[in-house]
This record gives sequence, C-alpha cells and structure tokens, in this order.
Amino acid sequence: MRKGISRFIREPRTIILIILVLISLAAIATLGIPQGLDLKGGSIIQIQLEKPVDSATMNTITSVLDKRLNIFGVKDVKVRASGSQNVIIEIAGVKPEEVAKIVGSPGKFEAKIDNKTVLTGADIVSVQSPIIKGNQWEVPFRISTDGAKRFAKAAEGKAGAPVDMYLDDRLITSPEISPDVAAGKPVTDVAITGAESTRESAELKAKEVETLLKSGSLPVKVKIIGVSNVSAELGGEFTKGALIAGLLAIIAIIIILVARYRTPILVLPIFFTTLAELILILGVAAIIRWNIDLAAIAGILAAIGTGVDDQIIMTDEVLGGERVKRRRRRFRIREAFFIIFASAGTLIAAMLPLAYVGFARGATGIGMLAGFAFTTVLGVLIGVFITRPVYAKFMEYIIK
Amino acid sequence: MILKRKLLESYKLLIIIPLIITLSSLGILLTHGLEESVDLKGGSIAELTLEKKMDQTELKAFIQEKLKIKDVNVISIKGYDATVQMGSDIQVDEFARALKGTAKIKSYRSVGPILGKEAMNQIYWAVGFAFLFMSITVLIVFRNLVPSLAVIMAAACDIIIALGGMSLFKVPLSLASIGAILMLIGYSVDTDILLTTRVLKQRKGKITERAIGAIKTGLTMSAAAIASMSALYIVTVFLIPEAEVLSNIAAVLIIGLSADILTTWFMNLGILRWYLEARS
Repeated sequence: MRKGISRFIREPRTIILIILVLISLAAIATLGIPQGLDLKGGSIIQIQLEKPVDSATMNTITSVLDKRLNIFGVKDVKVRASGSQNVIIEIAGVKPEEVAKIVGSPGKFEAKIDNKTVLTGADIVSVQSPIIKGNQWEVPFRISTDGAKRFAKAAEGKAGAPVDMYLDDRLITSPEISPDVAAGKPVTDVAITGAESTRESAELKAKEVETLLKSGSLPVKVKIIGVSNVSAELGGEFTKGALIAGLLAIIAIIIILVARYRTPILVLPIFFTTLAELILILGVAAIIRWNIDLAAIAGILAAIGTGVDDQIIMTDEVLGGERVKRRRRRFRIREAFFIIFASAGTLIAAMLPLAYVGFARGATGIGMLAGFAFTTVLGVLIGVFITRPVYAKFMEYIIK
Repeated sequence: MILKRKLLESYKLLIIIPLIITLSSLGILLTHGLEESVDLKGGSIAELTLEKKMDQTELKAFIQEKLKIKDVNVISIKGYDATVQMGSDIQVDEFARALKGTAKIKSYRSVGPILGKEAMNQIYWAVGFAFLFMSITVLIVFRNLVPSLAVIMAAACDIIIALGGMSLFKVPLSLASIGAILMLIGYSVDTDILLTTRVLKQRKGKITERAIGAIKTGLTMSAAAIASMSALYIVTVFLIPEAEVLSNIAAVLIIGLSADILTTWFMNLGILRWYLEARS
C-alpha cells in the first residue's frame, strides 16, 4: 500500500494535476471568478438594428452607443455586436429604465422652419453642459458657420416665427426667431430649452438631450427587443443558492457512493477528483475571464456529473470480478477509458451546435446558453485528459 | 436474484414497457402541448418585492389598470415576493413608473416577439444537430449498425419522455429546459455506451452475467446523477424560486434520467440480447 502511494505520487500525471490545481487556486484567489450579470446583478439590453449591416457600420453603432452611455454617466458598461444585426449592452449595477431610452433613440437632430429642415445633427460642432434653473433646462450648443449661414438665410425676414427643434422626430422646443437673425446675421450659438414638472426630471431631460446631441446619430434605426435585469440583491441570492445547491448535490452523490461502495478508500478519491475538476474549471474561468452565470453553473454541474459517472465506470471495471494482477488491471482500465472517451465524445458532439450558435451567431436567443455549452465541454475535456488518468493511476497502484 | 434473472430472461417482453411510456409521453405531448416561456413566446416577466401586502387579484387588477393592458398573469405571491408575467414586451421604465410606491423590481426580463421567434428557430437546429452529431459519434464508436441504433433509439425515447414529462408537470419550454434536453442527449447515452461496450466487447461470462455487472454500474451512475439533480431542484424551488433556469434544468434531467433507466435496461439491453441471439 505504502509503495503504491509513493509510486502514485511520483507519477508525472499526478504531479501535473497537483500543479494545475495549485495554479487554479492561485488564479481564483488573485483574479477572482468573473461573475455573470445574473449573479452580480445588472442588466442586459438586446438591440436589433433595422437591417443587417457591414462591420464598419456596426463599429459606428457600437461606438456611438458606448459614447452615449459614457456621457450619460453609466459606468461598467459593455457594448458588443452580436452577429450583423444585433447589439448587446451589458450594464452592471444600473437599472435599465435609466438607460433604455438613451440607447433606443437614434439621436437624430433637426431644426425646421416652416416645416423645412435647415439644420441637422451634422451641423453641430460642440455641445455645452446643460443649465438648470428651477424646473427649466437649457442645453446650449454651437453650430458650424456654414450651418449658421444657411439658418440665417432661411430665417431672413421671419422675426417671431417659430424654429421647431426635433430630436428623434419629437418636437422638443420651438424658440422664436430673434430680430437679429431675421435681419440676416448668422448666429452660431443656439440652444434647446424646455421645462419639466420637477427639478430632478429637468436635469434628467437635459442630460438626455445633451447626450443625444453629443454622441451623434445612429446610422440605422434601432429597436430594443429584449431587456433582462437582475438586481444585485437577487444576484447575491442566486450565488448563495447555487453554492448551497452545489454542496448538497455533492453530498447527495457521496451518499449514493457510500451506499454502493461502503469504504472511504473508494469514495474519497472520487470526491477529491470531483473537487479538483471543479477547481480547474473555475481556475480556467478566472484566467480567461469567462463569466460564470447561471447557465455556466448548470454546465459545471453537468460536467461534474459525467465525471462522477466515469469514475464509477472505472471503479467497477477494475474491481469487477476476481482479484487480478496489475497487467490485467491495466487492460481493464483501457476498456474503461474506451467507454469514457465514447461518452465524452457524445456529450461534446451534443454541445457543439450550441457552442456554434453562441460563438458564430452571437449571444442572442439560444446563444445565451453558450456559457452552458462552453463549461460543459471544458469540464469534460479537463476530466478526460487531466483528472481521469490520475484516477486511473490511483486505481492501478493503490486499490488492491 | 431469482426475480432479477427471471426478468432478464423475458427481455423481449420488457422492450415493450419503455415503448409504451414513450408513446404515452408522445400522446401527452401532442394533446397537451408545451407551455412556452417568456424567452420563446415573447413578453415580460418580473420578480417584484411588494411594499404592502396584496393578493393575486389585487395586484393583477392594479397592473392592468396602471399599464392599460389585459394580458397580466400574477404567477405567484409569497409574502412580499411576487412574480408577474405580461403578454407584451413592456419597456422596463414604463413598468417601474407604474409600480412606483407599490413594488420594487428585483428582476425584469422582456423579450420581443422577434427575439423569441429567432430563439425558437435556433432551438430546432441546435437540438436537431446535437442529436445528429451524437448519433454519428455512436456509429463511429461501435461501427455496428444494430447496437448503435439501439443506443440512438434509447436517447430518442429519453428525449420524448422528458418532453412528455415537461408537458405533464407544466415545465415550460425555455432556453433553460432546452439546455437540459441537450444535456440529456449527452448524458443519457453514457449508460447505453457502458452497456453496449460491456455486452459486446467482453468475451468472458454469459450475456446475462455481463449485463448484471453493467446494470450495477449503470444504476449507481443514474442514482448519483438523479440524486444531485434532485438536490439542485429542491434548493432552487424552496430557496431561490427566481432561479428558474436551474430548477427547470433539474426537473427535465430528473425526468429524463429516470426514463433512461427504463430505456437502457429494458429496451437497449433487450434489443442487444435479441440481436446477439439472432446472430449466433
């Protein structure tokens, strides 16, 4: 037995496993496990563009949206394209109701005199910070000299007539043309003004107008097609629940194993192998910054479940029937590995379409389950190539 | 032991049991259909924390009146926690404003009809290809038509029974439950591969003896998997009912893996023995 243990410890595979587990633990401790939005709380907003666009247009769209959210003061925001027609925005911490409006607007600015457009967003040179007085708000901005000249020409002789300023086809304000401008004098400093019922909402409105003017307009119409929001509090409950569930699941498995094998020398190694697998999966997630969300947790459970299955197969294969010599035992382990590789192959094959959808088509629809497919495949690969062979060596050297 | 052996000897009859269950599952599925969750049919679902006690009809009437929509379904109220589902994709800002002073939003999900349709379409492809790839892998592994088909058929029955169970126990078809079906495709064939390998490849002992060894291993595997999924189910249902993703996955797998015990040891084993008998 003692000889067996020392041979087992000196096996290169065992040493590699121990090193990898230590690296994973270090990675988890220093880098932390990245949590998905459903665990740490946050929002995912899914946007669909009016039509599929090329990658250059997509870049413009994502950068306009990113800029807008930044101006609006939303921190920790990720804007990414999903395929050629969808954009996914992930926001940690902020409620989506504050963001949905900003993101969903094309941000098209127009100033009209007598229903004819004289200024557009392209004429805007710079936008100043909003001025709030009571519940009145004002967003001053500067237009180009060209635009000012055009405006002056259109306004000539129309003192007192309204200039209708539209943002996304909504009439925001209609200031009157001043006598100066009506006399043909170009003015580059203009403003959009308005009033709300409270100071708070005036500030919000002004911020919204400022943001839309500043960030330019989106090249295509966008529509919010899905919102998913989990509060930080609920995310915390999810994390806690998942931990309890995982722990109970492992206890349930141990009870079954104890009932079947009745000896710690068979049950403990399975437990430790399972633990090692869990640590390795989380270690990889920590290193490559793969977000662990609820779907990924389900994937980890699936991988660990098959891991336990594999070890039961190996244990029974080696222990089955009469006591055998080491050479015969090796042959049996090979047979067990045939079953293990075959079942790993089928599980990975079944997960491939899901992984494909997730990576190639983006994280909309079923692509949201990509995390599930990824962790399952990762866990199965780690099991087949790293932990299972060590368990096999354990069976070979130590179990008599 | 005698009973076990007797059962094993009448294997041709036993094949019928999983087939009957599969057919009745198919019947339930076709007559009752599957409920679709919000992420597939479109709509909104919200978890709320009520600021004052309300009952289901009160909350329903309140939301209907505030948002001026008819299709409101208050799924559950437990203490101050409520789950509400609405037919159309209501913007979250609108919803938050309507509920101000009555409830706080803990989580909110709205899915437009476009997204739901796209997801549904992807599901057909993903499940179809998953099954196809699994079948190809099984054929490559065994390179033997009848035993491979027996494994593939067992997996197909598992899926049908799982879907029938979802229909019966009102587990909605959702992205999560589809994930579980995909998992089942990979998971359930484990025991079938074990069985086929043991019975076909081992030379020693009678078929019955080899089968009994495989049954012992296989049942331990299934018991471990079902036990862990039951733990997951119990925790999510009682502690975090909002984590539907996990409880749906667990429910589907418990049904599917239980079905797998029958399809593997009655049907797959039966077909294998029949095949070996016919061959010799």
